[in-house]
Amino acid sequence: MLDRPEAHDDRNLGQDLPQRDAAPVADRPAADREVPLPGTAAAEGGPALVIHQWLDGETSEADARRADDKQVDLWKMISAETDQRRRMTTPAYVAAIIMAAIPEARTEMKTATATNIATGAMVEPKAALGTAMLMMLCAGIFAIGIVIGTML
Amino acid sequence: MTEEEPTPADVDSDQDVISRILAGERDAFAMLIGRYSDPLYRHALGMTGSPDVAEDILQTSFIKAYHHLGEVRGRFDAWLFRIVANGCKDWLKNIRRTHLSYDEDDQPSTFASPDEDLDRTELRQDLDSALAQLAPSLREAFIMKHVEGRSYEEMADLLGTTVGALKMRVHRAREALQTLLEEKYD
Repeated sequence: MLDRPEAHDDRNLGQDLPQRDAAPVADRPAADREVPLPGTAAAEGGPALVIHQWLDGETSEADARRADDKQVDLWKMISAETDQRRRMTTPAYVAAIIMAAIPEARTEMKTATATNIATGAMVEPKAALGTAMLMMLCAGIFAIGIVIGTML
Repeated sequence: MTEEEPTPADVDSDQDVISRILAGERDAFAMLIGRYSDPLYRHALGMTGSPDVAEDILQTSFIKAYHHLGEVRGRFDAWLFRIVANGCKDWLKNIRRTHLSYDEDDQPSTFASPDEDLDRTELRQDLDSALAQLAPSLREAFIMKHVEGRSYEEMADLLGTTVGALKMRVHRAREALQTLLEEKYD
């Protein structure tokens, strides 16, 4: 629940976000107003602000308890629940479903090439056999033609 | 000869993996799924409150990412996060448009377990119900901060807004949750 050092994961930092993904300033909700609204804890300061500071890792639990003991207990309960949710993992079958759903296109190109190379050796003898048979058939017809011609 | 542990330098960067996929090594995409599915699943689950919907959003997002891998500029993880976050927001918009709310089918069934303490299950349900009442931007900020454990700086980086604005969102989300939960748990 408290600010965690491991959250500062610098993996792949240093590269800019795509500009097209940036939220337009005009679309930002009123909740983004950095000036606290009147009547809110942030505007009033006091115990509620100390609780926020504790939850943000800016002050100790002892300080927070001095400010509002009951709120600390409530947030400890919520924290136990959110900590448990942080350990949840994706069901194992999801990755398999994604991999099954993405096209084989790039692999297919390679497979097709490999297949053509592999089957080429098989196809060519068949084609060679076919040509030989055709030549034999032509020769046979030619021979029959000669025989018929001599008979007439 | 001793076998050495792989150093961080030995692990392919996202960009290296993407280059391999674009070169035709389709199966390398599983590496990216393994790297990012868990935090993204938690985000989708927190935003939608439904494991089934979270899985659907995750699947759709990864498939979409695969088809547009050649368009990635900058950080892949931030780009992918944006796809998932937009998927969640679209789902929330649609569910409002069709006048559906968090009915029984949308409740996070995986949170419930018969062996668990009843009080805990009750808190779980109450927290889900309270989160569902928050505006999507407040819910998103709370989930990123308290469930995903991200820093304000990281959140600002991913959402393209300022740390100050996000602190306000998280504070308002906490105040709303506190109001919704304190009567019962005070």
